[in-house]
Amino acid sequence: MKLIGHRSSNRGGRRGAILAAGAVLAASALALTGCTPTSSGSSNNSSSDSGGDKTITVWHYFSDPNQVKVMTDYKDLFEKNNDGVTVENVYVPYDQLNSKLISAVGAKTGPDVVVFNGADASTLALGGALAPMDDQWNSFADKGQFPDSVVHKLDGKTYAVQGYVNLLGLWYNADILDEIGVTPPKTMDELNAALKKAVDAGHGGITLSGLPQSQGEWQAYPWLSSTGFSYDNPDAGKLEQAFDMIKSWTDSGALTRQAVTWDQTVPFQTFAAGDVAFAENGNWQIGTAKSTAKFNYGVVPLPVGSEGKVYLGGEGEGIGAFSKNPDLAWKYLEETYYSPEGQLIALNDVGSLPARTDAASDTSISSDPLLAAFATTIAENGASYPADAVPPASVADQQLAVGQVWSAVIGGQTAPADAATKLVTQLQPLLEKK
Amino acid sequence: MTVETSSTLSPATRRAATRPAWPAGTRKRRSPSGNRKKLAFILPAAIFLALFSFYPMVQLLRMSVSTVNSSTLNSAWDFVGLANFAKGVQQGDLGIAFGNTAIFVVVVTVLGLLGGLVAAILLAASTRMSAFVLGLMVFIWALPPVVNGSVWKFLLGDTGLINAMLGGVGLTQHAVPFLYDEHFALMSVAIVNSWAVIPFNALVFRAAILGIPAETFEAARIDGANRWQEIRHMIVPAVRPTTLVLTVLTVVYAFRSFDFIYVMTYGGPGTATNTLPFLSYLQAFVRYDFGLGAATAVISVLLVLVLAFIYARSIRSEEAH
Repeated sequence: MKLIGHRSSNRGGRRGAILAAGAVLAASALALTGCTPTSSGSSNNSSSDSGGDKTITVWHYFSDPNQVKVMTDYKDLFEKNNDGVTVENVYVPYDQLNSKLISAVGAKTGPDVVVFNGADASTLALGGALAPMDDQWNSFADKGQFPDSVVHKLDGKTYAVQGYVNLLGLWYNADILDEIGVTPPKTMDELNAALKKAVDAGHGGITLSGLPQSQGEWQAYPWLSSTGFSYDNPDAGKLEQAFDMIKSWTDSGALTRQAVTWDQTVPFQTFAAGDVAFAENGNWQIGTAKSTAKFNYGVVPLPVGSEGKVYLGGEGEGIGAFSKNPDLAWKYLEETYYSPEGQLIALNDVGSLPARTDAASDTSISSDPLLAAFATTIAENGASYPADAVPPASVADQQLAVGQVWSAVIGGQTAPADAATKLVTQLQPLLEKK
Repeated sequence: MTVETSSTLSPATRRAATRPAWPAGTRKRRSPSGNRKKLAFILPAAIFLALFSFYPMVQLLRMSVSTVNSSTLNSAWDFVGLANFAKGVQQGDLGIAFGNTAIFVVVVTVLGLLGGLVAAILLAASTRMSAFVLGLMVFIWALPPVVNGSVWKFLLGDTGLINAMLGGVGLTQHAVPFLYDEHFALMSVAIVNSWAVIPFNALVFRAAILGIPAETFEAARIDGANRWQEIRHMIVPAVRPTTLVLTVLTVVYAFRSFDFIYVMTYGGPGTATNTLPFLSYLQAFVRYDFGLGAATAVISVLLVLVLAFIYARSIRSEEAH
């Protein structure tokens, strides 16, 4: 009986051990399931290693249907020209893309190709999320077609190149301008006079984004620089002048203070609804304007004068630091974003202006009055994004600081003089940082 | 003999018969194999907690006393002591965020509890209507905050439903700046957050109210108690222990609230709706100063730990009663 008792005890112990092991395995499986990313990175992509069938993953943040179409068209183009290759476009929300890429570095994974906000190139390069592509870029036959302003470098190494340029212009509702008897403005005085007339006639004046982050900073810069403010030598007086003008717009009702909650999409939708005279918005809205606006509209360069600057933005494209197939990733970039055919796809789908000199001289740009206005801005007021005076390590801090103060002025939280002093105080140490 | 006797008994009786008689007031000793079995069952949860709670917490603490940015995140972290905490205070954002968080927590807790109790009292009766409304509340509670916040952002806009209603009944001539006035914005987001927590609180309060014997209400009615007296003298005292627990849970919920601010105001206008969790997000994931963001998060965690301690004590005290 003792033996039986012993055996029974052993059986219980073994059963317990088996159950416990099962429970541990189940928990581990659950935990691992939880860890599995929903969007595939190249390290998780078994198909890329499996002989003939090759897949490259492309991370992007586009949700606008026209911009998503560019990604789909590039996928179709590349797959058509390369048998057995699959392009997997993975959407990651704008606000999460950079942090996901930098976090992925720790796990030595990530996409093959990254399409990101060009201004974040240094942040991503410093975070180790982008692979240097000097070898590929230097041996690229068409390298000379690209201006230096679209090539993103850090410490002499090339990390990304923009296939196209996006920038802001002044959209106008031609029907409202006809009604109030003004022509599209060419100077700030003309714009201010037109805004007053629009408001007096019961219309909205202008829409723009006042969101307290990088989108707000991108939209603020033309107006701030129009008074002579620059990051090379931040001057509180010039900044205050610009903030005073913005405050006069919100005080008169020409600009709704609600703009502080708007990203760049909402102000254009509001303009496209038809009761606002102007919108500060980009060339990427051409498709939306065509499909939505039920009135006559046009675009002129932002009337920011000779001192005013308009960022030459757009998405940078680079190769992921942990791409398992960097050669195929480069081939994808070469045949889509960096090719004349690919750049014309972005132009036709979205209205993005080609970075290549040969593609930019395409007749479809010079003959299109909307695109021509943006092309004029590039020539007369185009500026590097981010500004050259901002050290790479300070870009994120500078964008947030400007975005928050811009939002505070539009929302009426801070008076122009206080806002100008506060911002210059915040910027000085950031601009000194090396 | 013992063997013979035990073999004729049922297993349960046999266990009872062989169970030693423990002197009153002493604890039973468990056999080592039983203990091992219990420990084995605790192991998966312990591993899970260690992996997903303890380890991240240790990393957070390490990060808060180190220089960590986008270029050093994946390499060795230099120890800088309390420099990140000092930097947070020096930059001035921490004080504003702390004040905003305090206001936010008070509004969400008061409205969330009052709203929950009122809803529970109204829905205590088991009718089809109350079942329908309860179902609706569970739906609202289960909605992702991002969806909830987006809907409310639309409703609270200048041309949204709320302003249209206020204008329609003649209460205001101009749109109320719910989300873009520095004072309104924080209150608006806090009220929406309260609205989102009311269903949970109502369900818990309702369970507590249903626990009051029906005879108690009948006796009170025979004695001439009206509805208000029933609430004042019977329901409110009966749900007191529940209220204590819910208060702590709601405070913790409000304290760590991030989603609604992210969707509805992004901390704006300016920094008017920056709370501690949102400030921590901006520092870590927008400015990529992970050390500074971790320091702000550690301060938040410490405050939540104090609340968790109060919660644990209130639970123990409730169990003792």
